[in-house]
Amino acid sequence: MRYYLSALVALLLLADPTTSVADAPLTFEQDIRPIFKAYCLDCHGATDELEGGLDLRLRRFAERGGESGAAIVPGDAEKSYLVERLARGEMPPGEKKLSAEQIETIRRWIASGAATASPEPEMLDPGIGITPAERAFWSFQPNRRPDVPSFSTEERIASPIDAFVLTKLKEHGLSFSPEADKLTQLKRAYFGLTGLPPTPEQLEAFLADESTEAYARLIDTLLESPRYGERWARHWLDVAGYADTEGYTNADADRPWAYKYRDYVIKSLNEGKPLDQFIQEQLAGDELVPLPHSNLAPEQIEKLVATGFLRMAADGTGSGSNDDAARNQTIADTLKIVSTSLLGLSVGCAQCHDHRYDPIPQKDYYQLRAMFEPALSWKQWRTPQQRLISLYTDEDRANAATVEAEAQTIAAEKGQKQATYMAEAFDKELQKYDEALRVKLRDAYTTPGDKRNDEQTALLKQYPAVNISPGTLYQYNQAAADDLKKYDERIAETRSKKPVEEFMRVLTEPVGGPPETHLFHRGEYREPKDTVTPAALTISSPPGKRVEIASVDTAIPTTGRRLAYARWLTSGEHPLVARVIVNRVWMHHFGRGIVGTPADFGVLGERPSHPELLDWLASEFMASGWNLKQLHKLIMTSTVYRQSSQATTDGLAADSGNTLYWRMPIHRLDAEALRDRTLAASGTLVDQLYGAPINIKADDTGQVIVDGDESRRSIYIRVKRTQPVAMLTAFDAPVMEVNCERRPSSTAATQALMMMNSEFVLGHARKVAERVRATAGAETTGQQIVAAWQITFCRPPRDEELAAATTFLDEQTAYLQAHPIPDNLEPSLHAMTNLCQALLSSNEFLYVD
Amino acid sequence: MSTANTRREFLAQNAMGVGSMALAWLLQEEDLLANPAKIPQAQPTFDMQPKSPPHPPQAEAMISLFMHGGPAHMDLLDPKPELTKYSGTEYAEDVQFSFVNRASKTLFGSPWRFQQHGECGTEVSELLPHFANIVDDACVIRSMHTGHNGHEVSIRYWHGGIPAVLGRPTLGSWLTYALGSESQDLPAYMVLTDPGGHPVDGVNNWTNGWMPPLFQGTVLRPNEPRILNLQPPQHLKGELQRQNLAFLARLNQSHLDRHPGENDLEARIASYELAARMQTAATEALDISSETEATLRLYGIDQPETKEYGTRCLIARRLVERGVRFVQLFLGGQPWDNHSSIKTGLAAVCKRTDQPAAALVQDLKQRGMLDSTLVHWGGEIGRLPVTENHGAAEAQGRDHNGQGFSTWLAGGGVKGGMTYGETDEFGHRAAVNKVTPNDLQATLLHLFGLEHEQLSFRYNGREQHLTDGRECRIVREILSKA
Repeated sequence: MRYYLSALVALLLLADPTTSVADAPLTFEQDIRPIFKAYCLDCHGATDELEGGLDLRLRRFAERGGESGAAIVPGDAEKSYLVERLARGEMPPGEKKLSAEQIETIRRWIASGAATASPEPEMLDPGIGITPAERAFWSFQPNRRPDVPSFSTEERIASPIDAFVLTKLKEHGLSFSPEADKLTQLKRAYFGLTGLPPTPEQLEAFLADESTEAYARLIDTLLESPRYGERWARHWLDVAGYADTEGYTNADADRPWAYKYRDYVIKSLNEGKPLDQFIQEQLAGDELVPLPHSNLAPEQIEKLVATGFLRMAADGTGSGSNDDAARNQTIADTLKIVSTSLLGLSVGCAQCHDHRYDPIPQKDYYQLRAMFEPALSWKQWRTPQQRLISLYTDEDRANAATVEAEAQTIAAEKGQKQATYMAEAFDKELQKYDEALRVKLRDAYTTPGDKRNDEQTALLKQYPAVNISPGTLYQYNQAAADDLKKYDERIAETRSKKPVEEFMRVLTEPVGGPPETHLFHRGEYREPKDTVTPAALTISSPPGKRVEIASVDTAIPTTGRRLAYARWLTSGEHPLVARVIVNRVWMHHFGRGIVGTPADFGVLGERPSHPELLDWLASEFMASGWNLKQLHKLIMTSTVYRQSSQATTDGLAADSGNTLYWRMPIHRLDAEALRDRTLAASGTLVDQLYGAPINIKADDTGQVIVDGDESRRSIYIRVKRTQPVAMLTAFDAPVMEVNCERRPSSTAATQALMMMNSEFVLGHARKVAERVRATAGAETTGQQIVAAWQITFCRPPRDEELAAATTFLDEQTAYLQAHPIPDNLEPSLHAMTNLCQALLSSNEFLYVD
Repeated sequence: MSTANTRREFLAQNAMGVGSMALAWLLQEEDLLANPAKIPQAQPTFDMQPKSPPHPPQAEAMISLFMHGGPAHMDLLDPKPELTKYSGTEYAEDVQFSFVNRASKTLFGSPWRFQQHGECGTEVSELLPHFANIVDDACVIRSMHTGHNGHEVSIRYWHGGIPAVLGRPTLGSWLTYALGSESQDLPAYMVLTDPGGHPVDGVNNWTNGWMPPLFQGTVLRPNEPRILNLQPPQHLKGELQRQNLAFLARLNQSHLDRHPGENDLEARIASYELAARMQTAATEALDISSETEATLRLYGIDQPETKEYGTRCLIARRLVERGVRFVQLFLGGQPWDNHSSIKTGLAAVCKRTDQPAAALVQDLKQRGMLDSTLVHWGGEIGRLPVTENHGAAEAQGRDHNGQGFSTWLAGGGVKGGMTYGETDEFGHRAAVNKVTPNDLQATLLHLFGLEHEQLSFRYNGREQHLTDGRECRIVREILSKA
């Protein structure tokens, strides 16, 4: 049983010393209310029941006071009852006390007259609500397009991105690193966009292109590669929490059709689908397709499959746990996926009470939930099986019926034939008995089993040989049995002509009115309170203009709630969505986001390192029509991105963490890219888009591996929550619980052992060696070495590398000749295999500059 | 190959597989490298060579038996007669609940009896009969306090020094960073996980945070093989693999020369060196077949309930014996998180862990290792003295409590046979001599000859400390040498 991050914690985190300047006049909104909110408002303002009649939500309420009189006396801290209770440690009750510093802040505020920053509102809605100070938090501000700083032409400003980054660099006495060499840029772009290395031909073509447009053309080419969609789909599937199993129960049941959603993501990215449309389809694709969901056109199927996004949360209701707790957990996880992926907020805290740090009232959480409840109704729940939609068209169904009728005809023929054979066999068998017994036996045998009297049953037991059944017929007449088997084959063959029935895993709303959504007291579904209507979060709505969502849109057959919500999210007015998306894209290119916490843009998250850049990118992205490919190009053609990854003394001294981007950080390939690069090097990589997942199995030691020689890209490997693939998790691929917001990058001896001894690496090293020989011929060692370098590192060896590799091969071949290993490779191929294994395990192979 | 040929010539003759442009590019790049613009000064490098602490250490290694979930101290190590007396009545004080929906304020006296043990007379619950045998070697701290009831919040406090904050180096990282390792053949910081899965917060429990990855905990699998791919196949064993690794090291060194100061690259180079040595050393360390019958029995490896945890405790001793600095054992599935059915649930986890934990201390002592090995037992929080209500009496349990709970230490310079600190009469809050995780961290570092205010790691322009400048003290009262 888990209790998530206690919201009570982190006043420590809130107490950012840089925000309170000692001399600035203290105000209620800026300095005092945050303290009250964390320590006092639960009892003095959050609910109608005010402890001691005291309400601390406004300065004037505090002055008015409660049953014990005024809480504060402006101008006189020592006469203020509130200060007295605080100082004596009587308030708040319990363990959690204000720090001496916080009490001092309150004291100073009262002493200086208890000022407010602006006049207090006449009226206040019940509850803690949202204050102007909270509303002023950076991520809730409307998107604006900051002015781009101007620089002289010689400062290598290739795009506004560079202007924003250089401004900060200069503030720290730094500037850009030199541009990376051409090969490095090529590899960086290939791995960044496609997750694969360039082929020798691609490399040659690029290096040969000396025009100034060569690099920009390269980016365009890569964005058109189908490998691009496979690479970037992996990033989105992490936040969507993609899995091929249901999780929640130990059964971890299969989701046989989940892959269609994975394929939808790949296809959408490859087609350059505008991201606003991509988001709308995933949140409300079903609301864009008319009912009934039959005889669907391909684009309608696509929209329905898109809603698989809302079906990614673990769901045990079809595999042994269809209770209220499991259903509500699936709903809560779905909201977490939606909020962390699109809103960059952890709304989950507001499930039980008003969010203590971010301005998300509990009611907002349930209003958000109301958007999804018509389709995810815990009272009228549908299990994963019940949510499947067949892709059969009426025509398919008619074809299937025709085929089945044919099969039934054959089956009937077989039935007759079988009866005849059985009767013949029986008659023949009966000849073995005397006449009187024959009659009795025939009576007993022809009487149906459940109608036989005791005597008949006993008789058949006594003479088992007459008990001929279809299953034993062959023992009496093999030819007859063979003849019947032919009928079975014909039936099977006929049935195989039926169109294959495929299904979609989708989220749809059942017909009939939407269910009511209740606020759950303390998050407990057994304690439903007031009903709530659907609405977007208050804090993301413009001030005073809460985005309400109609309960029912009469223009379409569904409630239209999710569709309206999706349209709001992608309207361009939403303060978070575009920022969250561009931040993720930046993170995947640079290893770290402009906001270091990609799923938390709230108070507990990190602040943006380059706020203007983030806003400019978001604004530019939306202005481009939410064009993701254009965003990639914008980033990748910037000077920031094209810098060398070489560390410099100045850079390290001023900013060892490279938060200012004075160089391009090097980064290790993630798990999937590492496996894919290995397959590419061994020449076994199969470029086949889409389809059912690659099977996995446990090997003799219990480690989970890919089953067989399957060498498609890693995105197609089955994601089984309880059986993650060892090679991928070793290199930090997520084990899906809900979703993965950001992957760590670890270094461990266990990874080294995998590179040294695992069947996967050893097997592929051998294949690389064979490929090297096929490329360079078996005769010249030097040519083979050059080919090996080319295949693994995309470059020829340096002088000393060539010499070292030659020595290695010579010595090892000699050693193997002197110490033969039985049943082993021929010595020089063995040595080449070992050389290739070293290349595959090396840092140059694992890291991208 | 003839070295008389220059490489340019060689490549020109043999570069069939290589395009001429790639060749031209490479040659040009080397010309540039011949005149590097500005090579940065060497960055600090990190290794696992043993290092002497500034003060003479008491402890040289540590084994932490992390009991996450929140062991119910009033049922185990902190007898509360008043709680028993008023059991079933309403509690007057404020209580902070995690699961408010099942909250009650009905006091819940321990269903288990306590008795004095050892020469010291420390009172221990009947649930821990084996720990009762080693009380003279242990110091029970009864006044632990994190101030936060949540698991993750307190777990991060214990490991990283600040409640709730993720991504900081863990205690094992700090110790190995400061002291290196006595063994260059095994990872300095090892983690033994449970067959039931990772603990809450997963791999964050042994993260290196912003320290180089060299200081990350290395996980041993809960089942055989404990380390995957530890052994090479027959056709690579011995000299051949040595040759291969030497060649790989050369490749990596030349790559590193072109990327000076990249900690990640250095750590990966070190990870191969370590992996090679581990093939022999870890195989030997993890093989308990040479242990005597008596030792196996001591740890309960002959009994089904204690076999698994006993084996891990024994492996922990073998690792420390071979020079590993810091070993931490975790449990899966939160067995100490007894929200419901505490009567059966708590008894079961005690049955599983009590004998192995006590055996570890006894075994270290009989081998003369206890003086220099610090053993820690405890969770991130404790539990509330009131009932968490699940209707039926047998289903009742206790909710989280970070305000007061117990932990024990043995060996490594900690005074045995004592208790320290007190909770209030109901076991709710630490009342006398409160000890926070920061206090304990400062104390542990002290025992290793380190100072928590001095030991620092520079990150992003600032000297960082485990206790992060937070108010804390060395708990001198529990040290065997003042």
